Amino acid sequence: MTRYDLIIVGAGPAGLSAAIEAAKQGLKVIVFDENAKPGGQLFKQIHKFFGSKEHKAKIRGFKIGEELLKEANDFGVEVVLNAIVIGLYLDKEVTVNINDEIRHYKGDAVIVATGASENMVTFDGWTLPGVIGAGAAQTMMNLHSVRPGNKVLMLGSGNVGLVVSFQLLQAGCEVVALVDAAPKVGGYGVHAAKVARCGVSFYLSHTIIKAEGEECVKGVTIGEVDSRWRLVPGTEKHFEVDTICLAVGLSPMSQLLKMAGCEMKNTPAGYVPKCDETGETNIPGLFAAGDVSGIEEASSAMIEGRIAGLAAAENLGFLDKEELSEKIYELKKALLSLREGMFAPGNRGKAIEKTEEGIDLSINLLKKGYVGETEIERFPGVTRKKGVHPVIECTQNIPCNPCQDVCPKKCIKIGDKITSLPTLDETKECSGCGMCVAACSGQAIFLMNEEFEPGFAAITLPYEFLPLPSKGDKGMALDRSGKEICEAEIIDVKTKQVFDHTHLLTMKVPVNMAGKSRFFVVRRQENE
Amino acid sequence: MRISNHPILGKPEEKREVEFTYDGQIMKGLEGEPIAVALKVAGVKIHRYTKKYHKARGIFCAIGRCTDCVMVVDGKPNVRTCITPLKEGMKIQTQYGVAAKES
Repeated sequence: MTRYDLIIVGAGPAGLSAAIEAAKQGLKVIVFDENAKPGGQLFKQIHKFFGSKEHKAKIRGFKIGEELLKEANDFGVEVVLNAIVIGLYLDKEVTVNINDEIRHYKGDAVIVATGASENMVTFDGWTLPGVIGAGAAQTMMNLHSVRPGNKVLMLGSGNVGLVVSFQLLQAGCEVVALVDAAPKVGGYGVHAAKVARCGVSFYLSHTIIKAEGEECVKGVTIGEVDSRWRLVPGTEKHFEVDTICLAVGLSPMSQLLKMAGCEMKNTPAGYVPKCDETGETNIPGLFAAGDVSGIEEASSAMIEGRIAGLAAAENLGFLDKEELSEKIYELKKALLSLREGMFAPGNRGKAIEKTEEGIDLSINLLKKGYVGETEIERFPGVTRKKGVHPVIECTQNIPCNPCQDVCPKKCIKIGDKITSLPTLDETKECSGCGMCVAACSGQAIFLMNEEFEPGFAAITLPYEFLPLPSKGDKGMALDRSGKEICEAEIIDVKTKQVFDHTHLLTMKVPVNMAGKSRFFVVRRQENE
Repeated sequence: MRISNHPILGKPEEKREVEFTYDGQIMKGLEGEPIAVALKVAGVKIHRYTKKYHKARGIFCAIGRCTDCVMVVDGKPNVRTCITPLKEGMKIQTQYGVAAKES
């Protein structure tokens, strides 16, 4: 039996963060992870994170993973990979399967940061090869550089379904439909909008009836459901696809905690241990951090991990109570700010109709994935002005503020409440630098110049696809729904290191189309 | 199937090409990538057939949890191909129930 001050199960965002904080306090820490690589799911997350600076906002998930690993390494954290923790017993004894041998460890404190596993949903044909989890799609395209399929139907409109749909498009797959049985889009509206403007159709109040094919997926039939989840006859729609991707939620992997005898509870965030504010369970010295204690974002998991790591240090006498509360004060504040807004854990299942500012939410966004033309004008980031100015299509209260931080001219204001919708300070002059366009994790900011040329407007939009259009390319402007609406010409392409792979395309469109044009496709060469 | 250049991740890390066999056929894949990925690129979707009803199964979770993608690798059944790295000369066989098809 080997003894450690602290044993951590799981080398994802929560586990690594906990290990770093505990190691900083001088604890002898070991982290076990069943995977061949550390980092949990962070290395599959290629989108920019939400939040503010202290939450690592506007940094892509995999970069955050790299930073965490480096930090863990710098502080001498020992990470054992391909190590499956199979038991957690009284007195914090831990059994681990390493190379088909069971090894025995004991921790004076233990932090369980095992994360979550994907939920599944059954339908006729769900076991066919070609039906995959959204996590599988992310793993294949972002870790192994392989497209999961050519034509994909996504089931689930939560953030995972939306983000993975966008990643599928970035990988060069066709997403034929995004389907959810719920009547409203579950994830962030801005994630939905960036998928919709690429031309992906949303089918809310729809479910999969059948995956077709003898030995692998060849097609799928969906149908509408009523308010009591019953199929509406005659609403069937068929799509030819080779892949069906399921993004129907996550469940905490809390089995080890239950096994250890923790008091558990059923919550909307899953079957989780009862914890205090530091993540300590009813068993002193046994902590839970990250998704295992309730499904949230990786940003929250990292803060929970840091808090649990410090609390474990206090539990073992490496810190006194006062030092602990001092150290976790800022962390708790950062965590609370992530738990604000309309997607806050406390708002799960609640019907919200207005923003915190009292503005009616966009119904079209919730039903179809994009804000309607008549709805967009009522949001404070959407204004008209002479010359170049930002148009911020941010319509939901999400804890996020990089746009305010990056604007060198201080045109964009969110204020102290991080969930407030961004507003524009009309007294400040926009320089057209585009920092806000690239920094917006939701890709919801555009630069507009209605007086670019007589009769023409210039619109700058964020672009994360290949091939990258070049100056002079002609094509079509797409509206928020992804419909081609008018001819457009690329007049500028900006690529900068600080934009981190978000290129800024500026296109010229007829001025009467400026309010609608939100995406660009190169004109297809019909003679080819 | 392979993504040669990704808008965010760029070009994938270069890996050595290796040969392996799939039900006796010689195929090529990249050393160290999961067996399931090499098979996917080669167009193989069916990894096994269930014992009782003989239903096809393939990749499902791709992270080693669901065990739907298990195959017989170098004679050993129930190998999770989505997390087992490909090596030169590996013998990979479709799994029927819990074994390879008897030839």
